[in-house]
Amino acid sequence: MTGWAIELAQAALVLALAPGLVGVVRWLKARLQSRRGAPPWQPYYELRKLFGKDVIVSSNASWLFRLAPYVVFASTAVAACLVPSLAVTRPLDAVGDLLVLVYLLLLGTVFLSLAGLDPGSAFGGMGSSREMTVAALAEPTVALAIFALALSAGSTNLGQIVGRTLADPAAALSPGHLLAFAALFVVMLAETGRLPVDNPATHLELTMIHEAMVLEYSGRYLALIEWAAALKLLVFFALLGNLFVPWGVAAVAAPAALALALGSLLLKLAVIAVVVAVLETRVAKLRLFRVPELLSVSFVLALLAVTSSFLGR
Amino acid sequence: MDSLFAQLVVLESSLALIFGLVLLWRRGVPAYIHAFTWQSLVLAAVAATVGWFGRHRELYVVAALLIAVKGLAIPRLLARMERRFASERELAPYVNTATSLVVAGLLVLFGAAVMRPVVMASELPTRTAMPLAMGLVLVSLFVVVSRKKALTQVIGFLMLENGIALLALLGAYGIPLIVELGVFLDALMGFLVMQIFVYRIHATFETLDVDQLDRLRH
Repeated sequence: MTGWAIELAQAALVLALAPGLVGVVRWLKARLQSRRGAPPWQPYYELRKLFGKDVIVSSNASWLFRLAPYVVFASTAVAACLVPSLAVTRPLDAVGDLLVLVYLLLLGTVFLSLAGLDPGSAFGGMGSSREMTVAALAEPTVALAIFALALSAGSTNLGQIVGRTLADPAAALSPGHLLAFAALFVVMLAETGRLPVDNPATHLELTMIHEAMVLEYSGRYLALIEWAAALKLLVFFALLGNLFVPWGVAAVAAPAALALALGSLLLKLAVIAVVVAVLETRVAKLRLFRVPELLSVSFVLALLAVTSSFLGR
Repeated sequence: MDSLFAQLVVLESSLALIFGLVLLWRRGVPAYIHAFTWQSLVLAAVAATVGWFGRHRELYVVAALLIAVKGLAIPRLLARMERRFASERELAPYVNTATSLVVAGLLVLFGAAVMRPVVMASELPTRTAMPLAMGLVLVSLFVVVSRKKALTQVIGFLMLENGIALLALLGAYGIPLIVELGVFLDALMGFLVMQIFVYRIHATFETLDVDQLDRLRH
């Protein structure tokens, strides 16, 4: 019973925290670039405003266009619930493991690309084509990086991976883990449309990917998609934080442990947000044709991760 | 104690291998020089680690020499060459970047397969890192054969040398100091000879592209 209570609390927390995380990254970037920037809670205002607006749909759009935002939001929300962000052992661990999580996220990506193609606008099609290129190249990397983690933990179950690393702290410093972390970090940048791959700050660029797909959306549909994008960012941050640096995640369902878990989760999210903000300030966007090279770097890192966790056993 | 030793050595060897992979992904020579410098410093750290845990005093001398020769002297000379040939970037290697990276991954796997019997036979705590050193040797060799610019090839050769030194450190806790000194001198002399060659190639052909070497000039 307490398990489900924790699960619910965790889901509510993740849903509530996601827009704030995006806001924090934006605010940090603005400060780093000597701008004043919107306050970190700005995305909440934006979501409220968008939910109150009317929806305008192109006359060429089919039912798919209306369905996609719900699928995207639902799949990302379920994925967010699967991540052990507060406690190690949870009832939802029986529902899905790391592979389910990754493919739930991919389901959202596929529906978003279909929705980009559906209204027949030129930008949407371009965005979808690019998103599929990136997704196809990021997919094997994610699978391999997961395989490296699963090999050292002996299970693809998220809770068990976290528990194993908690029980054996030295494993977190093993090269397999570090390389898999680097590979997943690059993939995270690609999948959530961060800077070397896609520019999240603008929808006025010819080379945009995510923003090009959602260009036709408005009102509550756009709100759902924006919220889902924020959730996806949070899912990846929480995965990077809790799978590779699991300290602080509550092993028992005690109030004190959960409070500690909440604090450490916020701290980890803040640290990764700072890293991403600094990175986005320092690097320029890659040419689209160099993106496959970046992703093959991360693929090789993941391959090395698997090799070394295989050898290190 | 031994497990900490093994973990540290594997970590450092992976870092050395990753700095080797930088050659395949970046395009500017300054990035290559940085990668080589860091790789040499990591190699010095490996020597110091093996010296500390394996109780070989003389490996500290090797580490100091590594820092002095490969961490400071050679990068400085390389940087001077780079300033002189600033326009010579590695723009069109024989094998493109994405393919090179995949090939490098496969080479590392191949290195692991080749070293498997050695790792099985060895009792040393450093044995798990030996496949990574072999991977570095193979990847650097691949850099030498797949890149067109003489400067990139020189850096690839230096990394190959680093890989062999790493393998010696891991497999035999280093070689006798006098041999090590000879190897250092050899590497330095070899590098100086190569430097002169690079200057001559540039003076004769006005490029560092080795593809142009079969062109008749006189």
